[in-house]
Amino acid sequence: MENTMTFTDAHLRRLAALQDTIVPASDDGTMPSAGGIDLLAYLRAQAPGFLAELPGILERFDDGFADRPLAERVEVVRRFSEDDRSAFRSLVFRVYDSYYQDDRVRTAIGARPGAPFPGGHSIPAGDLSSLEAVKARGKGYRHPG
Amino acid sequence: MAETGASPSNDPVDVLIIGAGASGAAIAWSLTETRMRILCLEQGDWMSSSHYPTTRNNWEAQQFGAHHVDPNVRGLESDYPVNGTDSPIDVLNFNAVGGSTIAYAAHFPRLHPSDFRVRTLDGVADDWPVSYDDLEPYFVQNDRIMGVSGLPGDPMYPPKQLPLPPIPIGLVGETVARGFDRLGWHWWPSDSAILSQPYEGRDKCLNLNPCMTGCSQGAKGSVDITYWPEALRAGVELRTRCRVREVTVNADGMADGVVYYDADGKECFQKAEVVIMACNGVGTPRILLNSRSKQFPDGLANRSGLVGKNLMFHPVAVATGVFEERLDTHKGPQGCCILSKEFYETDLERGFVRGYNMQVTRGAAGPLATAMKGLAGGTIPWGPGHHEQFDRYFDHTVQCLAVCEDLPEECNQVTLDPELTDSSGIPAPKVTYRLSENSKTMLAHGLERGKEVMRAAGAVEIIETPLLRPGGWHLLGTARMGTDPERSVVNGWGRSHDVKNLFIVDGSIFVTAGGVNPTSTIQALALYIGDRIKANLANLFDD
Repeated sequence: MENTMTFTDAHLRRLAALQDTIVPASDDGTMPSAGGIDLLAYLRAQAPGFLAELPGILERFDDGFADRPLAERVEVVRRFSEDDRSAFRSLVFRVYDSYYQDDRVRTAIGARPGAPFPGGHSIPAGDLSSLEAVKARGKGYRHPG
Repeated sequence: MAETGASPSNDPVDVLIIGAGASGAAIAWSLTETRMRILCLEQGDWMSSSHYPTTRNNWEAQQFGAHHVDPNVRGLESDYPVNGTDSPIDVLNFNAVGGSTIAYAAHFPRLHPSDFRVRTLDGVADDWPVSYDDLEPYFVQNDRIMGVSGLPGDPMYPPKQLPLPPIPIGLVGETVARGFDRLGWHWWPSDSAILSQPYEGRDKCLNLNPCMTGCSQGAKGSVDITYWPEALRAGVELRTRCRVREVTVNADGMADGVVYYDADGKECFQKAEVVIMACNGVGTPRILLNSRSKQFPDGLANRSGLVGKNLMFHPVAVATGVFEERLDTHKGPQGCCILSKEFYETDLERGFVRGYNMQVTRGAAGPLATAMKGLAGGTIPWGPGHHEQFDRYFDHTVQCLAVCEDLPEECNQVTLDPELTDSSGIPAPKVTYRLSENSKTMLAHGLERGKEVMRAAGAVEIIETPLLRPGGWHLLGTARMGTDPERSVVNGWGRSHDVKNLFIVDGSIFVTAGGVNPTSTIQALALYIGDRIKANLANLFDD
C-alpha cells in the first residue's frame, strides 16, 4: 500500500507543519507539539490505508506553508477543513491518535504509557457510608406478586 | 468449524440453536442435562482475549473501527448491515461467540417486579405471562454463572444476594453520590457482571476502562467465557461462521431445520427436531420474516402479524458533568459505577407513565475519545487552545444516562429491506422507529434530573445530549410473549403459538422493556424456558 517515494522532502515538511498546526506545543511548554511525532512510521504500522490518502492531502498545501507563522497556518488549515471536512477529520484523527499514543504525551496528561492491559489501574473503593440513609428511606419498589 | 470433538456433519440434531450470544449460550447450557444432541450455529467467530484492543497501544482507535459498536461502521464479514435511516436511534450489536456480551458494558440490573405487571399497575401495554417471582431463581442461577458483583440491600429491589461484593465506585461514584445525597435521591452501586474478586477460575477486574471493546482480563462476564466452556464440555456442538438464512417447515407446518451458509459460503441444510431462535430483537425477526413458505407466506410463526412489530429500545438522554477536580474517569469499568432508581416507578405527576434508570458512567474516556468528542462537540479545538481545553475535559467528565422505558407500539418495527443484503445475500433488517410522546417527555425529564444531580455534585459545566443516537443496544419486543395467539408470537415459555417446535429465547419476547439493561433478564428468561422445555419433554409439542 505504502510508497515512500511519494513523500518528497517538501511533503514531509508540510506534514510536520500540519501536525504542528493541529496540535501545537502548549504555551507553558509542558505539552510537546505533534510535529515531533513520526506520523509516517505510525501510519505504516497502524493505518496503512491512510497512507494512500495522505499525498493528496499534502498537495492541497503549498511549499511556503511550512514556513508561515502558526496563526497563518491555522487560517490555511481552517479553509481546508471547511473545503473537505471528511479528509480533514481523517487527518485530525490520525494526528490525535499518534499524538496521544506517545509515551511522553501520555505521561504529561497523567495517563500511564502503553496498553492498558495487563497493568490496569487502581481506583478507590469509594465511600458507601451514606447508603445507610438511602436504606432508611425504606422499600421503594412495587411488588404486585 | 466444529468446537467439540465431534466432526461436523449435517446429521439431524435434536435441538438447533441459532445464535451463540447471551440467550443462546444460556439455553444451550440449560438443556445439556437432557443429553439431547444440541447444535448451535453462530455467524461470527470465537474472540481471543489476547487480541482485544486493550492489549495494544492503539486500543482507542479500534473502538472507532473494527471494534465499533455499530455493525454498519464495523462492517466485518461476520456482521450484517442494518438500515436505520428511519430511526433516530442506531442499532448496535456484536456478532461472535458471545454475541453482544463481547461488547456490552456488563451493567447487570434485573427488571423490577412492577415491570412484569404494567397493565395491572399502570394501565398501559400488557402484563407479562411470567412474573419477577417466576424468574427469581433463574436470576440467582444466572448471576452465579456470569459472576455478578454488587451490594445487597438496595431498597428498590426485593432482597437479593449476589455472588461477589461490588466493584469500586471510585472518585466518580463518590462524587456523584454526594449529588444524589444532597438531593435526597436514591443511589446504589451498580450490579455488574464484572468480577470484583477472583471467581471460578477467572481473575478480578483490572479497571482497564474500555469494557466495550472486549475484556482482555476475562473479568467481564461475556458468555464465551462463562456459559460456553461448560456447555461445550457437556457435549453441545457449536459451529462458527455459519449464517442461517431461513428456518424451513415440513408439510405439517412444523420446523424441520435451517438453511445456512458455512464458512466457505456453501449452502447447507441442517435438520432438527426443535429450533430455538437466539439472535436478538432484530436478528430473530429478520430470519423469521425471511422464512416464507406456503404455510407461512408472511414469515414463520407470524400468523399474528406481530413478528418484527413492537420494537423497543431504551431511549437514552445524557447529562455530562464537567468537574474542576480530576476524577480519574479513564480508569475503571466504563459503564458500571452507580445508579439511581429515584424516578423508576410510575408517578403520573411527572407527566409520563413508567420511568427510567439513572446510570452513572465513566464513559469511553481515553485521551483520543476525549479529543475527538471535544472536536465534534466544539468544546476542544484543534490548533491553539487545544491543550487548555483538553485539560479541562480529560479525566474531568462524568455522564449520567437516563435509560428510559420504551412502550410497545406496532408502528415501531423490523422489516426486511428490499435491497440491502449481507455478504451472503440475505436481506438486511430495516428498522422503522419513532419516539412516542411518553418517551419524549420521559427523556426530557431524565435529562433535567441528570443536570440537577450533576450540579448538586459540583459540576461546573454540563453538556446535554437529549437523545443518544448510538444507543440502540437493547433490542426488544419483536416476537412478544403472551397467552393470546392473536396478540403475541410465543407463549409464556417461549414456544411459538403457530409452530410447536419453534422457540424464541432472546429479547424479542419481552412484552415491555422495563427501564434497565436487559441482559440479566434475557438470560434468566432463557434459563426459565430451558426448564419449561425439560419439564414438558414428554409432550413438548402438544397444545
